[in-house]
Amino acid sequence: MKTENHKFRKILVCCGTGCLANGSMDVFQALKENLGPDSGIAVETYVKATGCNGWCEQGPLVKIMPDDITYCHVKASDVKEVIEKTIKNGELIKRLLYRDPQSKKRFKSHHEIDFYKKQHKIALRHIGEIDPASIGDYLSCGGYQALQKAVGMQAAEILTQILNSGLRGRGGAGFSTGLKWQSCARQENSPKYVICNGDEGDPGAFMDRSIMEGDPHTVIEGMIICALAIGAEKGFIYVRDEYALAIQNLKQALADARSFGYLGDDIMGRDFFFDIEIIRGGGAFVCGEETALIASIEGNIGEPRDKYVFPTEKGLWGKPTVINNVETWANIPVIILEGAENFASIGTDHSKGTKVFSLVGKVMNTGLVEVPMGTTLREIIYDIGGGILKGRQFKAVQTGGPSGGCIPAELLDLPVDFESLAAAGSMMGSGGLIVMDDRTCMVEVARYYLNFLAGESCGKCVPCREGIRRMLEILTRICEGQGKEGDLELLEELGETLQIASLCALGKTAPNPVLSTIRYFRDEYLAHIREHRCPAGVCRKLTEFYIDPELCNGCGLCKKNCPVNAISGEKKEPHVISQELCIRCGDCINNCPFLAVKVK
Amino acid sequence: MQIIIDGKKIDAVYGDTILETCRKADIYIPTLCYHEAFGGQGRCRLCMVELEKEGQKKMVAACTYPITEKIEVRTSTPLIKKTRRNIIMLLYKRAPNSLLLQKLFREYECQDNSLKEDPAERCILCNLCVQACQEIGSNAISLIMRGTDKRVASPYDEASEACTGCGACALICPTAAIEMVEEGNKRTIWNKTFELLACERCGKLYTTKEQWEFTAKKNNACASDRQLCESCRKKAVAEKIKAYQAAEH
Amino acid sequence: MAVDINQIQEKIHVIIYAYPGEKRYILAMMQDLQKICNYLPREGLELIAEHTGVAFSEIYSLATFYKAFSLVPRGKYNIKVCDGTACHIKGSAVIIDQVFNSLGIKPGETTEDGLFSLETVNCLGACAIAPVLMVNEKIYPKVSSSGLLDIIKAYGGHVHENGKS
Repeated sequence: MKTENHKFRKILVCCGTGCLANGSMDVFQALKENLGPDSGIAVETYVKATGCNGWCEQGPLVKIMPDDITYCHVKASDVKEVIEKTIKNGELIKRLLYRDPQSKKRFKSHHEIDFYKKQHKIALRHIGEIDPASIGDYLSCGGYQALQKAVGMQAAEILTQILNSGLRGRGGAGFSTGLKWQSCARQENSPKYVICNGDEGDPGAFMDRSIMEGDPHTVIEGMIICALAIGAEKGFIYVRDEYALAIQNLKQALADARSFGYLGDDIMGRDFFFDIEIIRGGGAFVCGEETALIASIEGNIGEPRDKYVFPTEKGLWGKPTVINNVETWANIPVIILEGAENFASIGTDHSKGTKVFSLVGKVMNTGLVEVPMGTTLREIIYDIGGGILKGRQFKAVQTGGPSGGCIPAELLDLPVDFESLAAAGSMMGSGGLIVMDDRTCMVEVARYYLNFLAGESCGKCVPCREGIRRMLEILTRICEGQGKEGDLELLEELGETLQIASLCALGKTAPNPVLSTIRYFRDEYLAHIREHRCPAGVCRKLTEFYIDPELCNGCGLCKKNCPVNAISGEKKEPHVISQELCIRCGDCINNCPFLAVKVK
Repeated sequence: MQIIIDGKKIDAVYGDTILETCRKADIYIPTLCYHEAFGGQGRCRLCMVELEKEGQKKMVAACTYPITEKIEVRTSTPLIKKTRRNIIMLLYKRAPNSLLLQKLFREYECQDNSLKEDPAERCILCNLCVQACQEIGSNAISLIMRGTDKRVASPYDEASEACTGCGACALICPTAAIEMVEEGNKRTIWNKTFELLACERCGKLYTTKEQWEFTAKKNNACASDRQLCESCRKKAVAEKIKAYQAAEH
Repeated sequence: MAVDINQIQEKIHVIIYAYPGEKRYILAMMQDLQKICNYLPREGLELIAEHTGVAFSEIYSLATFYKAFSLVPRGKYNIKVCDGTACHIKGSAVIIDQVFNSLGIKPGETTEDGLFSLETVNCLGACAIAPVLMVNEKIYPKVSSSGLLDIIKAYGGHVHENGKS
């Protein structure tokens, strides 16, 4: 199979965290070395390291343009072949192309695959297509043109555009971005501040990481536009401590923006000064809450305060402050450049534009998925995600992280927007979509989230600190077979008190995972409490695995991998699990190709 | 300006919190972490009240909510009572041996339940001790860690250089959670032992050497200033005033 | 395995005085200190108090609030097992138990020889390759129980034979 013979080729190697873990840096280095100025290849080549779309399972990923070829699972040892066949001669290497597990078909470009085809990228528009460390790349695809346009607009015009776009905060609260900016612009107090909340803490969400790593300039450009509109001179990007690559790429981007005159004095010829500083978080989920984040920048511990006066009025050091999430910032340049109506034409009545979801868990295609608001859960999980892994059964999808809830199969046709998710007992949150199958215990999931929040609660207020601790106590008892009658009622009552009396959103939304799983999976709770049984086979004290002799064909895979040698059986004969030795790790049931291992 | 509290028209100062306004109007709202000297913290959430503004109802903490417009407040609805009951129950379970919490448990009609109790704990993390220490200027203790590990401590749980043994923290603590032991002319608190000074007039052991030196430095005391306990100091000032008044005539 | 204070006394000074003596730089000072010393030495915290004029008790409060910091030296190889939701439902809890079985340490602890310390982190943002763990800066994808033992051995760790908890 051949594509055209081009005079030049651009080779993009994904160097996001996931591909790096799979060795993409070696691939990148090998390509650079072998395509150096002395390589003697007639084709002009540019090798670029790009950001991540989260399709990490297929990595390391190498894209070759303009042929639009996507190679998967590339190893450093494949590089010579790639150069000989594809770079020099435009030939496709079939074994490196993506193969659909169901149809077994091979695809030349990722653009042809449902996972990518069905997405509508705005916030993620540049990810994987440009070298995040190159401002030249950003400029060549329209970068800083929005700023150019904004510099010629009145502040009121910019604010109107953002308001009319219908953009709502992408960090979780979903507050109207336009109203927030307008409220801050109105304030007479100064100086004013612009903050980017990059303290992405929801476990399972990594869209902010991807944007900060893969397209840092879009965040910077968005912030400069805001500073113009509200009258700010100083900005901060608060980045989670664990995101080293994001910090590195942001630092480079800021330095480049300064030398190109997009930051600093007299930006683009206007009497306007703005600069941005990076603040590294200290490892505290609660600092994703805006008043806690502000406290952290001020040099205090990350304790939130009551928000009866908003940060737009009294924020950082008591001054008017706009704080927005990374993904929110990524949308700003597009809204300014293409106009509010364009953005508002996508999505639903009250939830405009697109949303990036981090589709992870027991789904075939995991990664970042950006779709118009209003797309249904079913479309995301099945059409784009490819359905459940290993042919197992869908049980629930957890949305909104530790502040959200679990949505059962009956609601798969729910359109994803702010209001619909809230009505179902969950919330949009930052966009985490954790797909769970029949091997996930919903009681244990509730316990897991409470355990997470117990470690992240700042401890300031009584309902959150004491309430989460006690709800966790009850759930732990239930998962260990010590559940009592009245436990569910106590959980519901404590949940209500937390929702009413907690100081900040962490405490107020902490009961969501528990209350939503009790709502939709009450039977599972009752099985734990009354029958001391975990139907999903997860809670170890309430689980027993056994092998169905009708289905077992004695392949011996389970026996070989059992970490405690608890499985016995002859080749081609049904195998047996010893209950005394079994530690309930689940390796056997997770890997049996015949689904012969079952939960009692 | 005027607002409505529990159906009555009440005069309020713009910017005052709901709690301050209620205190001025003699309307009772329970608190645990509030002290006039420091203002509202919003830690205990016992002071939650119902607020109605433009037809919307919500629950807010009275000690931190500033009054800036006409609002209607209800200080005791069934939901508020239930919320307070649960907060007290949670604190009682945390520190069941505190006499204050035992009293509140009965007062708020809390029901016993299956949650575990910690007989050794007394602190409810109201943070009043830390604020007192900051106000005095020693800054010897602080809130460390977070979540359920959060507690009041001196750095490394060791005797702190900054601690003067003044005992303000122990005095302000509502649950007697801070241990202060006095034996002879020695006082031990926060893992540090202090020498107590005797009042020059009456002989009462009234302050530590460190606290005396700290205050003396702060007030630019001179050598002629005497070590007097509070009541003797008042007497000494009264005598001075009498002496001046006599000299005037 | 404390770091020789005399050797790094000057280093601590350079790290801290690289920033203005204002409260808002304390977090950054601590991060640099943690990175270079592998923990926050008491002398470092006292110097921060001196440089910024902020009370020592408040510095200590900051150092203990944020999970990025450790008041005792971390192991030479810091194992961070991701316990984010995706990793959790793909078995990170089993990995964490396995570390205990093979090295005898729980999250927050360091082995006696100072070689390994264990931490759980909430989401490294690489969910597609769950379960994920990091040893210092290196990321390991799709770690299985046996894979973990190989990783530990590669760093020179001694593993207890029986994998049973």
